[in-house]
Amino acid sequence: FNLWAVRAVRAVRVSSIRPAPLLTATPVRTLVDEQTCIKASFLPSNHPVTVCARMRSDEGDLWQSFAHYNSNSRGTDLSVGGSYSGCEPMGLFWSMQPAPGERDGLRLRKKCVESPYTVHISLLEGHVSPNQEPVKELAAVTAERWYMAPGVKRQEIRQNGLVGTLFIPPGPGPFPAMLDMWGMGGGLPEYRSSLFASRGYASFCLAYVGHKDLPGPPNTINVGDSYFQAAFQFLQDHSHIAADKVGIVGLSYGSFLSLADLNESVFAWIHVNILLFFVNCFFMYPKAFSFMTLLSLKHILCILQILMKPLVLMQLEEITCPLMFVVGEDDMSASSIENADLIEETLRAAGKSHLFTRLSYPGAGHLIEPPYSPMSRASFWAVKPKKREMMTLWGGHPAPHAAAQEDAWKKMLEFMELNLRPKLTASVLHVKAKRQ
Amino acid sequence: MSQAVPPLLSVRPSRALVDEKFSVLVENLPPGCPVTIRSLYQSEDKDFWEAYGHYVSNHKGTVSVSEDISLGGTYTGKEAMGLLWSMRPIPGSRKGLRLRKKDTCAPMLVTISVYSGHGDVRDQAPLASALVERWHVAPGVQRIEITEKGVRGTLFLPPGPGPFPAMLDLWGGGGGLQEYRAALLACRGFASLALEYLKSNDTKPKGLDMKYFETAFEIIRSHPQVIPDRVGIIGLCFGTLMTLSLAAECPTIKPRCIVCISNIHSKSNENTIQEFPQEIPEKYNKIHMMEDVVVWRDMGLAVLEVGHPKVKVGNIDCPMLLINGTDDQNWPTVEVASDIIKTMREAGKESLVTRLDYPDAGHLIEPPFSPHFRAANFMLHGTKKKVMMLWGGKTKPHADAQEDSWKKILSFLQLHLYGAPSLKANL
Repeated sequence: FNLWAVRAVRAVRVSSIRPAPLLTATPVRTLVDEQTCIKASFLPSNHPVTVCARMRSDEGDLWQSFAHYNSNSRGTDLSVGGSYSGCEPMGLFWSMQPAPGERDGLRLRKKCVESPYTVHISLLEGHVSPNQEPVKELAAVTAERWYMAPGVKRQEIRQNGLVGTLFIPPGPGPFPAMLDMWGMGGGLPEYRSSLFASRGYASFCLAYVGHKDLPGPPNTINVGDSYFQAAFQFLQDHSHIAADKVGIVGLSYGSFLSLADLNESVFAWIHVNILLFFVNCFFMYPKAFSFMTLLSLKHILCILQILMKPLVLMQLEEITCPLMFVVGEDDMSASSIENADLIEETLRAAGKSHLFTRLSYPGAGHLIEPPYSPMSRASFWAVKPKKREMMTLWGGHPAPHAAAQEDAWKKMLEFMELNLRPKLTASVLHVKAKRQ
Repeated sequence: MSQAVPPLLSVRPSRALVDEKFSVLVENLPPGCPVTIRSLYQSEDKDFWEAYGHYVSNHKGTVSVSEDISLGGTYTGKEAMGLLWSMRPIPGSRKGLRLRKKDTCAPMLVTISVYSGHGDVRDQAPLASALVERWHVAPGVQRIEITEKGVRGTLFLPPGPGPFPAMLDLWGGGGGLQEYRAALLACRGFASLALEYLKSNDTKPKGLDMKYFETAFEIIRSHPQVIPDRVGIIGLCFGTLMTLSLAAECPTIKPRCIVCISNIHSKSNENTIQEFPQEIPEKYNKIHMMEDVVVWRDMGLAVLEVGHPKVKVGNIDCPMLLINGTDDQNWPTVEVASDIIKTMREAGKESLVTRLDYPDAGHLIEPPFSPHFRAANFMLHGTKKKVMMLWGGKTKPHADAQEDSWKKILSFLQLHLYGAPSLKANL
C-alpha cells in the first residue's frame, strides 16, 4: 500500500491503515528447557495465518519450522498443517528442521553455551510454506533460547590429564554434581551440563574421544579406566561440590563407559540409550579395554549380548546406587530395549530391582536430548575406525520424540533431586550458616 | 562424613522484562524453618539497593514467595514482587537516591539469596543464591537515537514489519532523556519516542517552544513504520502539562489518545508555557520545608485556587487517561484531575475521560515493580540547586498503583491505538 496516498486523506479521522497484528512470545528470553507462550493478537476472525520460526545454528545453518492456524476467539489453537499439527505449545521449536537448500545430515547441537539461539518468529498471511514466494509477513517477534542461566560459571578444565568443562551454579554451594558423558561422536558437548548447572547441579562434561586436547589419534579412545576415575575424583575433591552427592549421566556410549568403569561410590546413574557397538578392537583400542564392542545393528546385537553377558553382569550385580534407564523404543542405532531388559533382569536376579527405574518411550529415537530441541532421525556421524562420515539412522518420529525429551528431562531432574538432594535438618542448617 | 547440600533457590523466569513477574522458590529446607529471602542490586551509580522478607518453610520444606506470606522485612504479606518494589538503599548509603535505568540495552542484575533465620543477615553467608536479569528491551526491539531537525530523543521500534501505532513519551521537570518507559512500550507493540526537552544541566531553560514538540511529533508520525493517525502521547508531571497543551492548543498535533500521570495543567503567567519552571516558584511562595524536605503541594493548591491560567483542556477531542496518587505531595494532582473533568463536563466531553485515583500513592508513578521513593534528590530547574523533594506515597499502595496503572495504560493504548477489542490466536 502507498503511505503517501493515504496521508492525503488524513483529514478524515477514521484510520485507513490498520495496525499490524501483534505477535508476542512470553517470556521472550527462556532457558531451552522452559516453555514460551506464542500469541497473535488483533487478527480478524477466522483468518488463516502461518507461524514460522527460523534460527541459525552455531555453524550458520538455517533451521526452520512452520504451522498453519486459523484465528478464533476461543483461546488455545490447533495447528492444521505444517511442521506439526494439533495443540503443541512448543511445536515451533522441536519440529524445526534444516531449511530447504541447507546441507544434508545435520544435527542441531549448541557449541557455544554462553550465547543464546536467536529465534525469529513471524506471522505470515494465509496458509503458506515459508519458502514459497511471495510471502507477506504480518508481524514478528524475536525469542532467545539460553543454555545457561545468569550467574552460572563455566570453567575449562585441563588438569591432571582431564579434558572437560565444569559448570558451577551461582551461590555458595556446596552443590550436588553430575559427571556428564556423551557418545562415541566425541568432542565436548557442553549443553546438557550447562542446563544442569542452571538447575542447581554442578556438572562436568568430560571428553574422552575425538578432542584435540586428548592424547593419541582422535578416532580412537586412548584413555583408560583411570581417566574416568580421575574425573569422578576431581568432582568429589572440588571445594564447591558435595563429595557424596555425585552422579553420572551418560548417553549412548557414555552410558556403557560409566557402567564399565565406575561402579563404586556413585550415587545416581542415568543412562540414555545404552549403545554397544563393534570396532575392530585389536587395531583400535588399547589393552585397557578388554572387551569387544559391536556395531549398531539390532539383530546382531542380541546374539552378541549373550557373549558379552558375563562381563557386564559382573559389574551390574555390585551396583549400590539408584540407576535410571531412558529408552527410545524406536532407536535404530542400538538395541536399547534389549539392553535395558538385560540389565533389568540382572538386577532383579541380584535382588536389586528397587534401585532400577526405567523410562521407555514409544516412537522416540536414539538421541534423547534436552526438551524442545529438534530431533534428527538420521545425521552424518563419523563411524570409527574409518574417518569418513556415514549417514546414521538414529530413529524416532518428531512428535513422540519431542514428548519423550520433555518427559525424560523432567523425570531425570526429579530423579537427581530425590537422590542427590536429601532433606536438611534444622541443626545441619544452623551449623552450615555459622561455619562460613 | 555426609556434607549437607544447601537448599535449592530458583527464580523463574531468570531473564524477564521489568514489567513481568517472577516466582521465587526455595526447596529442600527443613520443615518449619525460618529464613530470610533478600534481593541485592548495585545501580549504575554504584549504590546498593536491597529488599528482604521473612518466611517460614512449610512441612515440605518449601518457601514460595508468590504463595506464602512474608512475616516481616521491607515488605509483608503475600507479595510475589516485594523483593523488587520494596527495595531501598542499604544503610549507610547517600541520601535521597532514586533508581532509574540509564542504559536501557543492558539488564538490571539482581541477586536473590536465602539466609537462615530472621535476624540481620548482612554479615551472614547465604545458604543459596540466584542471579536474575531484568530487561527494558526485548530482543529484536530497535533503539534509534534521534538528532534530526534539532530534536533530541530516542526512538524504540518493536520487531517486525509494522506498521505500528506510536507514542510520544514525555517525562517531567527533572529533565534529561529517560528512555526506560518508551523501551517497555516498544516491547508491548508501540513505536515510542522518548523526548528530551529539558536538559538537566541547563541554567537557562529552553526547548519549551511548541515548535519543538510539533517537530518531534512529525518525526514519529512520518516514520515509514508508524501509522500517522495512531500516535498518542504519554506524560508524567510536567510532561502532563506538555501533553495537555499539545492536545488542546496545538493545531497540527492531533494525538489519538493521551495518558497523563500526575496531572499538572497550570501555565506561567504570560499564558505560555515558556519559562514556567522558574516562574511559578517565585510568585507563589507557598513552598514549605518539612524536616529538610521541600514540599510543593501547597503551592500547587494556591495556584489552583487563585485561578491562575491553565491549559484549555476543553479543546481536547481525544480520549484521555488521568492517573494520580492521593498522597501526592509534589502537586495537588487529584484536585487538578477534578478540575480537568469539570472543564470537560462543561464542554460536553466528559465521556472522553477515564480517571484513576490511587489511594496513598505518590507523585512518581513509574512502570511496575520499581522501588518507591517518598522523597528524593531533585535539581531545581534553571538553578544549580539540589533539594530533597517530597514526592509522597506509602510504599505498598504506591507499588500497587504502579502495577495496576501500567496494566490499565496498556489496555487503554491497545483499545485506542490498535482498534476494537480483538480476536486472538494462542498458538
